[in-house]
Parts: sequence; structure tokens; C-alpha cells
Amino acid sequence: MKHQLFLVGLFSISTLFVSSEVTATTGIIQPNVEKTEKHVRLTALAYLENMKQAYKELNFELLYVNTGGSKIEPKQLIHGVIDGKRIAYFCYLNGSMRESLQFDGKISFYEQGNQAYSLASRRDQSVFSNITSFDFENGTQNYEYIILGKGRIAGKKAIAIRMASKDEFRYSYIVWLDLNSYLPLRLDTISKANLIIDQTMAISLKVTDTINPWIAQLSEKRIPEVLHLAKMDVEEAAKWQLHWIPEGFKIVKNDQHKLMMHDIEPVSYIMISDGIVSVSIYISSTQSSSSDQQSIIQQGGTLLYTKHQEKLEVNIIGEIPIAAAERVASSIRVAK
Amino acid sequence: MKEYAQDLSSLIDNELDEETVINEILEDAELQQQFSRYQLMGDVMRDESNGFDLRIDVTDSVMAAIANEVQKDNVVPLASKVKPANNVVPFMKRFGQYAIAASVAGVVVVSSLMVNQNSVTDPSVTPVLSTVPFGGAAAPVSLQVAPSSTKDEIKEQNERLEALLKDHQLQLQIQP
Repeated sequence: MKHQLFLVGLFSISTLFVSSEVTATTGIIQPNVEKTEKHVRLTALAYLENMKQAYKELNFELLYVNTGGSKIEPKQLIHGVIDGKRIAYFCYLNGSMRESLQFDGKISFYEQGNQAYSLASRRDQSVFSNITSFDFENGTQNYEYIILGKGRIAGKKAIAIRMASKDEFRYSYIVWLDLNSYLPLRLDTISKANLIIDQTMAISLKVTDTINPWIAQLSEKRIPEVLHLAKMDVEEAAKWQLHWIPEGFKIVKNDQHKLMMHDIEPVSYIMISDGIVSVSIYISSTQSSSSDQQSIIQQGGTLLYTKHQEKLEVNIIGEIPIAAAERVASSIRVAK
Repeated sequence: MKEYAQDLSSLIDNELDEETVINEILEDAELQQQFSRYQLMGDVMRDESNGFDLRIDVTDSVMAAIANEVQKDNVVPLASKVKPANNVVPFMKRFGQYAIAASVAGVVVVSSLMVNQNSVTDPSVTPVLSTVPFGGAAAPVSLQVAPSSTKDEIKEQNERLEALLKDHQLQLQIQP
């Protein structure tokens, strides 16, 4: 009897695989419960892990809008996989043509009226790349994942998961993902006061079994030459030290370089990142007499924080709350 | 020059027929400017100016500004197909392109940022600094008024922030 039940269970799982060929081919975690209904409750973490995998492995075309501050920008992303390599085409839908194509470790930028160029970059730079490359398992130290409920985004059944920050030094997020393909459909950045300060939302999502033939063609086109940024050889590279950065963040860059088109003198530069956001910290000397002054500019989730202290100017740019920027800025010391 | 002021106003009122004075006025640029200002005043007082003529005063300065402005060429030059003798492209020129094309990656434009900053900030913390110069963006163009130092400082600060923001975008693009 028990044996029979097991067989029935096995059978229903196999039919489940057949009925959903898209998800089955990607090896996404399937609910191992004997239910004929497809959408069985996973844990929030499992949903997020599925999203991560789906975003990397599926062929899809996404139209979305981005609302930061008061500006709304409609954009398009076409993603595909060719022989295991991801290709992503991105384009602004309004205004002048601005496009980019990322494939095989290079990203090329095309803009109306300007010479196109490429940069070497292995890091995914498409819209949901940050949230879909986050280490959710280790992220539990700083975030709590809570399933909020189901809804409908871009005509698809979606589930909302809140990534609630455990401290005041990072924003919280609400991720909406498609229950069918597990692709992300909407990402809200939430401030401590529970306001949506930045939102990316899909308008249309089309998942296909095969890659869009047009971008498959694009992958064979010659791309503009790759530019290399000259490395500055500065002896005292690590002149400054951060004595505090928010938990979960790591220093990913620490150098001195010149700002393009502006200053002749180099600035000290440190980048910290927690996988979701990357924050730039600039330290430069200033003649300005104003001491202990700070200015804050915020648009959407992006913060521009400036602090003057004893002939030093510290600029912090990134998607972090003011509290975090303040604490990082005041922890800067000369390295011994 | 003062003594002609009376003559000027007579001229405007069509009460002057002394040819010498008219010739004098025609030769003196200063007087001509004054003449046009008087005319403008008259128009304004008679309510005939419908706002449009007010620009007379700034025409010269605007023309000068236009003449001084570096021509920004958004069109690919026809000669670009001809390769230069050597293959070296000035590095700074390249940098300029980065800055512009950074918008592809969704660069936040500072000019709009300055205007929209009061939208969503946490009211519990430090007040947001207003960086829009007094008088706003629509300050009249005028050569007579020397720009105040604070305005200059703000402009410089904005430029610096914009440069930092662009650098931040570039750093994100080349992040390993």
C-alpha cells in the first residue's frame, strides 16, 4: 500500500515536470510534495534562489519602467543564453537611442551621436542583476525574508517577498516574482520610514524556449574595441582606512584615480559592496574653510553625501541610508 | 554724453530736427544703446511691449555668449572614415565619451537631481541642502550684474558632484 502511494507520488512529480518544460530544463527547485496543483508553497529563501537561477538561465524579453525620484524611464531588456553564455541587450525606449549589449565578458555601449565603445566586464549589469546575484543564504545575517502574499504584475501571477533589513544601515526591499517562471517582476526599495524610494517594475514579460533570433545574431557581430582604463601608479594607495562599514559589506576597490573631465588632482577612492548595492567613497583635500559641514542630496534611492572635516572632503555616493553614510564618513582615518 | 539725453528724448518724441545731433547719435554706440533703452521704457510705459521687446537689452550679451560657446557637434563628421596616420586616440577624449555614454547605464543626471531633491527624504535626519541658486534657473542674462561668489561656489560644487556621480557610474561599469 505504502509502495503504491509512493508510485503515485512519483508519477505526479513526473507529470509536473512535463507540464512545465521551461522550469524543468533549468533545474529549478520543485516542490517535493505530492500535490497536483503546481504552485505549492516554497520558503521565501527557495523562491529567491529560484529567481536567481531563472534570471540567469531563461530566454526572456522584459519591458519595464524605473521610477526613481520623479522621473519615469521605460526600458527594454532582452536576455538569452547561447551555448551556456549569457547575452543581454538593453535599450532605453524613450528619447535618443541608448543601447548596450553584454556578452562574453564584454559590455558595449551605443549612443546616438557618440562613438560606441566596449568595456571588459564579467559582472552582469542588467536591471535586476544586483538582486539576482545576491548571496541570499548568507544574506540572512542582515535580512529577513518574509512572504507577503500574492498579486498580479504585468499580467502575471506574482508573489511578493520582503527582504527586511535587520538594521538601519541598509534599505529593505520587496521583490515580486513571477510564479510561473520565477523571474523578478518588480523591485521596491523601502526606506526605514516604509516609503518606496525607488521602484523597478515590469510592464511586460515574455519567456521563450529558444533565444530571440535577433540577439543571437547580435552576438556574432563585431563589437567596438575594448577600452582599458589606465591604472594610476600611486605609491601610497591605501592612505585612508575605514574603521567602520555596515555589516555584510566588503571593500571591493581601494585606489587613487583622477575624475574624468574635472579635477587634475587624484582622489582617494574606496568602493564597498554587499552584493546588492555598491557604494563609492571619495576622499580629497579641500581648501574650503567650511568645517564640519555636510550636505545631502537624494534622488530615489541614490544618496550623495558630502562632509567637510578639517580640510578633507568626503563624498559618499550609493544606495544606502543617510545613517550608514554618516557613520562611514566619520570612521575615516589616515592609515597607519 | 549727459547733454544728449535731453536731445535723445526729443528725438524719440519726434521733436528734434537738428541734423548734427542726429549724426552725433548715429556715431555714438553708447547713445544708441541709450536710445533703444528709452524706446523700450516708452513702450513699457505705453504698455506696447508685450514682453517680447524686453530682450533688446540682453541681445548683445547673448550674442557674445553664443559666439564664445564651444560648438558642440553631435553629428559624426564626414571625415571620420579617414583613419589618422597613427592609431593613438587621445585618452582624455575617450574619457569624455564615457561620461556621456554613462547614461546608458542609467546615470542620474545632476541637473534634474538638484531640482527634485526635496521629494523623498527622511525628515528625521539632517535637512537637505538646497543647491538651486537663488532666483532659480530662469535668472535673467545680464552683463551688468556680476555673479555672486556663492553662486559660483554652488556651481563649482554641483560640477564636482556631477563629476563624482559620473565616476561612480563608471566605477560600477568596470567593477570586476
